Amino acid sequence: MDRRKFIKNSALASSLFFVPNFVKAFEPVTAKQLGYKRLVIVQLAGGNDGLNTIIPHNNDLYYNARPQLAITKGIIKLNDDLGFHPSLSPLRSLFDNGKLSIINNVGYPNPVRSHFRSMDIWQTASSSNEYLQSGWLGRYLDQHGDKPYNALEMDEQLSLAMKGEHFNGIATNDYKVLYNTAKDPYFKKVLNYNDAHLSEHNLGYLYQTMIEAESSASYIFENTNVKSSQESYPQNGFAKQLKSVAQFINSGLDTKVFYTSLGGFDTHASQNNKQTKLLSQYAESISAFVKDLKRNNTFEDTLILTFSEFGRRVKQNAANGTDHGAANNVFVIGKNLKKAGFYNDLASLSDLDGNGDLKYNVDFRSVYATILSSWLNVSAEGIIPSKQKALNFI
Amino acid sequence: MIQQELQHLYWRVGFGLNPANFNSLPKNRQQIVDAIFDNSKSTSPLKIDLSFMNGVTVKDLKENPKIARELRVTSRKKLADLNYAWLNQLVNTKELLREKMTLFWANHFVCKVNHVVFAQKFNNTLRTHALGDFKTFVKAISKEAAMLKYLNGKQNKKNQPNENFARELMELFTLGEGQYSEKDIKESARAFTGYNHDFDGNFRFKMKVHDQGEKTFFGKTGNFSGDDIIDIILEDKQCATYISAKIYRYFVNPKPNKKHIEAMANVFYKDYNIENLMRFVLLSDWFYDDENIGAKIKSPIEYLIGMVKTVPVKFEREKDLLKIQKLLGQTLLNPPNVAGWKGDKAWIDANTIMVRLKLPSVMLNNAVISSGENDELRKKYFKKNKGKLPIKVTVDWNTFSENYKNINPENLQDYILQGNSNKGTADFLKTLSKTSKQEYCVQLMSLPEYQMC
Repeated sequence: MDRRKFIKNSALASSLFFVPNFVKAFEPVTAKQLGYKRLVIVQLAGGNDGLNTIIPHNNDLYYNARPQLAITKGIIKLNDDLGFHPSLSPLRSLFDNGKLSIINNVGYPNPVRSHFRSMDIWQTASSSNEYLQSGWLGRYLDQHGDKPYNALEMDEQLSLAMKGEHFNGIATNDYKVLYNTAKDPYFKKVLNYNDAHLSEHNLGYLYQTMIEAESSASYIFENTNVKSSQESYPQNGFAKQLKSVAQFINSGLDTKVFYTSLGGFDTHASQNNKQTKLLSQYAESISAFVKDLKRNNTFEDTLILTFSEFGRRVKQNAANGTDHGAANNVFVIGKNLKKAGFYNDLASLSDLDGNGDLKYNVDFRSVYATILSSWLNVSAEGIIPSKQKALNFI
Repeated sequence: MIQQELQHLYWRVGFGLNPANFNSLPKNRQQIVDAIFDNSKSTSPLKIDLSFMNGVTVKDLKENPKIARELRVTSRKKLADLNYAWLNQLVNTKELLREKMTLFWANHFVCKVNHVVFAQKFNNTLRTHALGDFKTFVKAISKEAAMLKYLNGKQNKKNQPNENFARELMELFTLGEGQYSEKDIKESARAFTGYNHDFDGNFRFKMKVHDQGEKTFFGKTGNFSGDDIIDIILEDKQCATYISAKIYRYFVNPKPNKKHIEAMANVFYKDYNIENLMRFVLLSDWFYDDENIGAKIKSPIEYLIGMVKTVPVKFEREKDLLKIQKLLGQTLLNPPNVAGWKGDKAWIDANTIMVRLKLPSVMLNNAVISSGENDELRKKYFKKNKGKLPIKVTVDWNTFSENYKNINPENLQDYILQGNSNKGTADFLKTLSKTSKQEYCVQLMSLPEYQMC
């Protein structure tokens, strides 16, 4: 950050902080303006088995590769080839009404089968032999955000995806706790004594971040209307995250990006029970979330992207589970999709890569680039490092 | 040396200075620095209980997937034990500089494995070479089982070369980005083919998959081995400059000073002896310049260990230690990627600053920073959480009182904080009551200034 901008920002932040009812100084009108687009990310951590999520129910190769693991009962057939896992029934109406687009075979060249590394690749939008230290959403907000609360993650810890070169979002699984922590009278006194100019060195940066944390915590707390979400959600941690997101969106918070996560998909053994439970949690929670947004007329300005760091091996293993694979499906949910339903066909189950995994034919970075240009209306340049062709799902 | 310089030195080679030790230290710089190196002559490797691997053979793993799975689970649990053992060593060690350098090298030769035997072995290799000969060090790293796994050295074979290690060797470990061509990477990868390890993690060279053909690397042609490649890389002075710059940013100031780094590189290039380089740094006048004192943002580990060394605590649940590391953004043995933790400003975001400002009071004083002030809030919190704090520790204030007994409460800030305070904060501190040294200590630790070292 150059010096002028630094002083301007910190002066603004500190003056806001010391106005007694300073929250009023914020004008959340921008958020309420028509066409304020929001993006909600859902990360299925652990590597969701895409083949048992969107099932090729007419394909012998699928059944042969998974004698004990293939889903045979209760498949919700969506067309002649593909169908939902039974747990996804709450998403049926979204699919039928053109609010869900399923992109098959999403991945990247030379796929990495380590959870951590592949998650980093997805979060930073890097290639598999490139190490980036900032995330794609963070870089988006480097260019198009100015307050930490422009990006909120429903967790205790901020994911790499939400860290830019300069920008950092806010992570909180309970915004009231964050507010109460930040409100400690001791911190307030410390800052009261420091309304002079902050230095540009590291210590100044610490004070500036402290001020931003306080003002962000207050901004979120004061502007969130708990009653804005009346929908009943299922009882699980993921649903709780989405309910908070709905409250923030319906309250008109000036937040562009929300990040949520559901973990436990690393099903090396006894996969069916685990995945059935997790996909139910996912589908029921998403369904409640979309209803909540619709009731508040915020659905049309919200796009929900669901991804996992990789799919799983086509062939099941000896423990009735699956090992780490490669390409996987991605779900995009929104009101005005250009191409709803299946965006593309499932890749061939006979033409697998050397590890016996699905080959990708849609680069995940082209999904990101499309969301940036067609949904958030910004150029992907400087955010997605490699040139990607735009897709036409939105 | 004056107190401020001493504290500065001890923050950089360790985790701060116990004021009770002031008087027992030698008087001049040379003697003090000599003593620091003397204390780090020995090496104390980490040794956790790994008996769960006793008698296990390759055959067991291959033939019995259930055993293999159980061992993997145990190994991951043991990694937590290794993490605690390392933290414990950082708190209690006499080999201050060796341990601080080990921490530095762990974020230079970045590596992460779930195999706890390999992880411990790798960690001890960092410790062994921490102050030794850099050339030997790099060669040892290239042969570590953990590294062969992490950067796919095992998959690097004559007919299917894997360039991962060769690339990072130059980009991250020795020269820095843009100092080599893609062709150099390809050719050097060939020299490392055949590197492998046995079941126990000892290095094994597999001649059958080694590419014995001629390689052309950095303009030289020959039937190079992996060690030859490392020798050739280190002939480039850029390597000495690259390492010196990194050491400068870590031990002196995150803002590089070209002149000082160049002077360091001249020393280092002579023999690549790490101890000589560090002696040069710690004996330089510029090391003690005002602009370097308190200029660094503590890493989460420096912050945590420093706090525990000032006020000793016992963690009642070891897993709280993992929780704290995670919240602060640095879990030992679990780096984010091969580039390691970015450090400096990247440690601090809105979340981590709040955790850092709040943690001392939560750990040491029942979440009270300033008594009588946030009682309402605390009551609500305790009611909601059945009277429990998120972290369970026993605090040893007696040792603190003993160590700080000769310090006037009015001067405590000069011992707890490093470098200059913000003007406003200095004024604010004057208004605080100093009747309780303990409470004042917690208040000082709850300041942005406490994040600096």
